[in-house]
Amino acid sequence: MTMLRIDNLHATVDGKLILKGISLTLNPGEIHAIMGPNGSGKSTLSYVLAGRPGYEVTEGTVTLDGEDLLALDPHERAAKGMFLGFQYPVEIPGVSNVQFLRTALNAQRRARGEKELSAGEFLRVAREQADGLGLSMDMMKRGVNVGFSGGEKKRNEMVQMGIIDPRLAILDETDSGLDIDALRVVGQGINRILRKPDKAVLLITHYERLLEIVEPDFVHVLAGGRIVRSGGHELARELEREGYGAMAEAVA
Amino acid sequence: MTLLTIPSNREEGWRWSDLSALPELAEARPTGRVPDELPWIACDREGPRLLFVDGKLDEARSTLGPVEIGAVDVMASDHPLARLAGRSGWQLKLGRDHAPHGLVQIVHVSTGAADHLAAEIALDIDAQASISETYVGEGWANRLTGIKLFKGARLMLSRRLLGGSGFVSLNDQADVGEGASLVVATLAAGGADSRLDGLIRLAGEEAYAEASAALLGRGRQRHDANLVIRHDVPHGTSRQVWRSVADDRAGCSVAARVEVVRHAQKTDGEQSLKGLLLARSATINAKPELEIFADDVKCAHGATVGELDRNALFYLESRGVPPDEARALLTRAFVADALDRIGEDEVKAAFYENVEAWFARIPSPLAGEGGDRREAGGG
Repeated sequence: MTMLRIDNLHATVDGKLILKGISLTLNPGEIHAIMGPNGSGKSTLSYVLAGRPGYEVTEGTVTLDGEDLLALDPHERAAKGMFLGFQYPVEIPGVSNVQFLRTALNAQRRARGEKELSAGEFLRVAREQADGLGLSMDMMKRGVNVGFSGGEKKRNEMVQMGIIDPRLAILDETDSGLDIDALRVVGQGINRILRKPDKAVLLITHYERLLEIVEPDFVHVLAGGRIVRSGGHELARELEREGYGAMAEAVA
Repeated sequence: MTLLTIPSNREEGWRWSDLSALPELAEARPTGRVPDELPWIACDREGPRLLFVDGKLDEARSTLGPVEIGAVDVMASDHPLARLAGRSGWQLKLGRDHAPHGLVQIVHVSTGAADHLAAEIALDIDAQASISETYVGEGWANRLTGIKLFKGARLMLSRRLLGGSGFVSLNDQADVGEGASLVVATLAAGGADSRLDGLIRLAGEEAYAEASAALLGRGRQRHDANLVIRHDVPHGTSRQVWRSVADDRAGCSVAARVEVVRHAQKTDGEQSLKGLLLARSATINAKPELEIFADDVKCAHGATVGELDRNALFYLESRGVPPDEARALLTRAFVADALDRIGEDEVKAAFYENVEAWFARIPSPLAGEGGDRREAGGG
């Protein structure tokens, strides 16, 4: 059964049309990569899917497990198993990572009618995930992303994803700002958490390098608010070689 | 006829005040009804407990320890509210190196009328104490507290304003001696209006004074503070952390001043006044003031008023935190700066529980009966 179905999606930001008819289907067990030049609408797509205020859908539909996703508030989408990895994770002074994630996880569990985790149970899960991505528990007890380097913020996104354990992850340029070692750690984290038969990933990236670690099943090229080409991993390698320019011209 | 003279809003120190409820409360009769549950804080080391009902000690339910009741040495004759507080009340005088056994807790219950009480805290050399006061009920509690800290003495004074309605007016007159430390932390998280006044003098070198407050208001509540920290000698350090949160049509106003006299060199003074508007109809006034006559000082002040960070809200919501919980989490973080200086974990936890309870009462009482009390008098 299809997990996420995007059909003819049009969306505006500040009245400006950014997405101009995107159609895409994700099945469980699939990893889809979306590549494209700056300004092509990649981040807009991820925000529209997560329900960010200010991003208005003007046409088209999105369903998750057959249910109208666009009718749900952001926290309800999360409770349905959707996770957005932010390109620019937000700093929240005064709220610790641990407090934030326990609140988030238990709110999701409540919404799904599952039992909440106790402080002890939660800390065990948090420690395991933080260890897996090389963040100390000391950092987990600090304010959300406060004083974290760019790479640490991205690793923290993956720790959060591991703790929340979503079914559908939309990762918006999770690889940007990472050095080669951090890229490997983050990529392996994605594989460990998400490469499972019941999960699906929409991986938004500029570069092919992350895809060498997280092998995509499908690659789509987004340009001018539309998907202009789809293919397998080889499409990403072609882009890496020839750039977006040639492809955008070919389409135009 | 009332003898109460209320200052006019034309006076600068009272420009944001709304004292229109006071004449009626001053004439009212107390009901004498004391709630069954009193907000005592359970502590590992239980200390003295004092219960004042309408300004009178309930001896049966109090354990005085080193605290005495009687005439106190404190004056604020030029203050229109504090001068009503009189010159008798409770007194904590500690000798050199002394400390009470555990936290001194004082609960003030006001039962629908006005009650006035003075207090005096005098800590001799190297003495130390932690006092936590809680105001509950529905009347007007008016207090004047004199504080004298001698060399090396340390006082932590935490206060909670939790009354369901009515008014609480507090006035502190403090002298902080050489190397002594005074920390006053206040939380307003009830339904009562408030007026906080204070003059804290750093009277000895290397003295430290901190005044912080989290003022939470909703409905048509008014919180109004006017504090002066005066550096009278060199090498003093002072901190002021004010966090105002206003929802509905509430108003929080803070005027906080640092004064540095001519010879008080090497003064280190900081003040941070921040306001958070939870509704566009709410009001926050922040008036940080510096008056510096010395030339070698470090004084910083900042004032901001804003709304909750939308990016942070969306970040939390995208992880599954429902909007109300996300707002509460961010607002709690916002006031944490003001409450984190409370020394005892039990006290701090109790204060945070009151913050949580304040959020749990959303939706606002504006629609309820208490909220429209002063609609006619507003302006």
